Amino acid sequence: MEEVDKILIHTLKQVGTEVSEEVNSVKQFTSELIVEAVVRCIRVIDPGLGSALPTSLPPGMSARFRVGMSLAQACQDIGYKGEIGYQTFLYSNEPEIRSLLMFLVERLPRESAETSDQPTGKSVVLQRAIAAAIKAQLAVPWLPPNCRLPLHGETQSPGGLHSFHVQPLSLPHCTKGPTKKELIDYQRDILPPVTAQPSSHASVVASILEQHTAELSAAQEWDSEWNSQGLVSRLTPQEYRSRKLTRLRKRAEEQLRSAALPSAESAFGGPRSTSDLSELLQAFRGSAPADQVLTKGSHFTHTQKFTFTQEAAAVTSPIPTGRQSEGDVQLRQEEELASLQQQFQQLCTDVDQLTADMKHMGVTNTQVLDELKQRELGNTEEEERMQVKKKTIDLLPDADNNLVKFQAQVEASAKRVLHLASQWEKHRAPLIEEHRTLKEICSNQDLESSRKLSEIKTLHDKIRVSTEEAKKKEEIYKQLVTELENLPQDASRSAYTQRILEIVSNIKKQKEEITKILSDTKELQKEINNLTGKLDRTFAVTDELVFKDAKKDESVRKSYKYLAALHENCNHLIQTIEDTGTILREIRDLEEQIETEHGNKTVANLERILDDYKAIRQENSALAAKVREG
Amino acid sequence: MELSESVQRGLQSLADPSAFDQTSFPALVDVSFQSLLSSHGDPAVLDQPQLKQIDQILLKQSHAAAVTLILEAVKQNADKSTVSSCLEELTFSAERIEIFCGTYQRHKKELEHLLTSIGTQPPRVNDVSWRLQYHMKNGQLDKVNEPFYLISLNTETKGTPEDINFTCTVEQLQDLVGKLKDAAKSVEKASQM
Repeated sequence: MEEVDKILIHTLKQVGTEVSEEVNSVKQFTSELIVEAVVRCIRVIDPGLGSALPTSLPPGMSARFRVGMSLAQACQDIGYKGEIGYQTFLYSNEPEIRSLLMFLVERLPRESAETSDQPTGKSVVLQRAIAAAIKAQLAVPWLPPNCRLPLHGETQSPGGLHSFHVQPLSLPHCTKGPTKKELIDYQRDILPPVTAQPSSHASVVASILEQHTAELSAAQEWDSEWNSQGLVSRLTPQEYRSRKLTRLRKRAEEQLRSAALPSAESAFGGPRSTSDLSELLQAFRGSAPADQVLTKGSHFTHTQKFTFTQEAAAVTSPIPTGRQSEGDVQLRQEEELASLQQQFQQLCTDVDQLTADMKHMGVTNTQVLDELKQRELGNTEEEERMQVKKKTIDLLPDADNNLVKFQAQVEASAKRVLHLASQWEKHRAPLIEEHRTLKEICSNQDLESSRKLSEIKTLHDKIRVSTEEAKKKEEIYKQLVTELENLPQDASRSAYTQRILEIVSNIKKQKEEITKILSDTKELQKEINNLTGKLDRTFAVTDELVFKDAKKDESVRKSYKYLAALHENCNHLIQTIEDTGTILREIRDLEEQIETEHGNKTVANLERILDDYKAIRQENSALAAKVREG
Repeated sequence: MELSESVQRGLQSLADPSAFDQTSFPALVDVSFQSLLSSHGDPAVLDQPQLKQIDQILLKQSHAAAVTLILEAVKQNADKSTVSSCLEELTFSAERIEIFCGTYQRHKKELEHLLTSIGTQPPRVNDVSWRLQYHMKNGQLDKVNEPFYLISLNTETKGTPEDINFTCTVEQLQDLVGKLKDAAKSVEKASQM
């Protein structure tokens, strides 16, 4: 019964009964404890019924009696079928209390099972943690600033707060690629550790966190780009990177060139060039939407403008200032300015003209060079033709002979050509075939590689999906583990199951025994039946035989009478034995009943009840005396 | 806990017994925590006798990685098991994981303070004093006869006290009190998730 008691005590503790640690079986329950436990259970089962009941026993006998009676009534109202009275609580006996408590515990509502089945996600866990933190902070009492301990520092007196300020950090990446010796020397000897790099120590944390996040996000971006575009291009990562770099560079160069072209023709005057620059930057912005470039550019133009205006000022400033009147000076200055402007314009036009001339000259120069080359080519052709003609003129004197020779030569060369053609054909056929097969192989490989590429892509996707899944599952596992840790550690479940298993096995054993006994009794019954049948038959036969002979012989008649008497007596005997059996059984039943009655301690209970009765009477008489006195 | 490639590399070299031996590993771990928790960035923090024989570049790299790991772990409120599983993936030995996690547990609270010190906070109200005044008349009106409250909130920003003074009518004060009650209620509601 230990497990049952454990379960009972555990449940009673959950209901709110204060069961001390030493008590670990129902046997050790005191009357007070029993009353408290029962009342708490009733309060949970039926709050309306239980609220009227006190959880502790009063000192007076009559009051105790009343409490016991009301408790018994409440138990019966709930549906307890067993024998119950006030003595059950005051003069407890173990089995009765156990059965009562078991009944009550079974009637307890089970709401706890539903709350634990809530779906829990990561956000729910986080929210719960936040709620717990807020609760803990709310539980801390407010203290005036002077009384605060460092313990309250977190919530009640914020220390020096500083904003999230980030400074770039320099990290040594020593293993990657060939680095310059100077850089290595710098990293080894001069570069301070990361925590000493930012100018103010407050921004160390922010800078490190930012650096790490930037690295992570860059890696992720590269990963996604590689998966979406890089893999399809069938290049190694390095090649892909370098190609991308060259592409970007080319684009930048194109933009620069196209923007620089119009400005090159009329590259005079400061303000003009700055506007060109800004145009160029505008063009850049169209292609590369980087705000940084724009801000930098505008900054640049500002400085440009600034320097140009300064120069202009510098040009105008060194004008000689005499002691003439101001109007004179102004006039002179204006004149000078006008003349200078004129000069400047003239110079500009001169320069324009000269550049145009230069261009023209350059063009004519190239034209002349081209012509020269053509002429030279024509010259060499002419020379060749002249040589052929010279040879023919040399051969003319012996014309016939030479003609024959020529013909022979022509024929021989024709033959040779034929021969060479046939040979070429011979060579060509296998080469063409090889070319074809190679082409086929190439296309096959192309196909295969594209297939493999798609496979790789799907594999990548799968890997991503499965890593995500694994992460999710790990998280769920962690959550469940924490939940399990948070759950109250009770052995009730395992105790229940163990107990149930034991009971089941006991019942099995008992069943087996019962079937054995049943079969035994059946066999015995069969034997008995057999014997009685045999007896009946033998009796009938002997009866007949003896009866036949009895008619003839006097002595035989006597023996027949004896036989009949014997049969009757035996029947009587059997009857008596059966009767004794039933009586014995009855006796045993009665003895058992007596024992159970003994176990109930009826006499002691009666005596106790008598005592209670006497005590109540005494109290009553005392009260009556008091009333009379009053 | 996700770590970038450079941090992983740095930690792997930290886990390597040939790079960091029995004496230099705990020294570097201590130095990493100290460099975060000390009030000023000391450039000579790595000049420890136990760390002399190690290549300075490797040392700086491992130090940066360890510092990043510590900050990330505290940022994510990682418990001991998470940190140790993360270190296990980076091939740390059980003994080293024990050393690191022990130091981490010891300094976690201080590091949390360090991280909570990043941010801004509105001034906090420490005390309030008030005065009920009666506005009888002014230059424009001969009869005003309205009570009004003079409220002085004693606040504190970064340890320096500051008073915020304002006046309000009864309705405005009621509105203010109602808002404050609402705020308190929402905080309580948030705590009962």
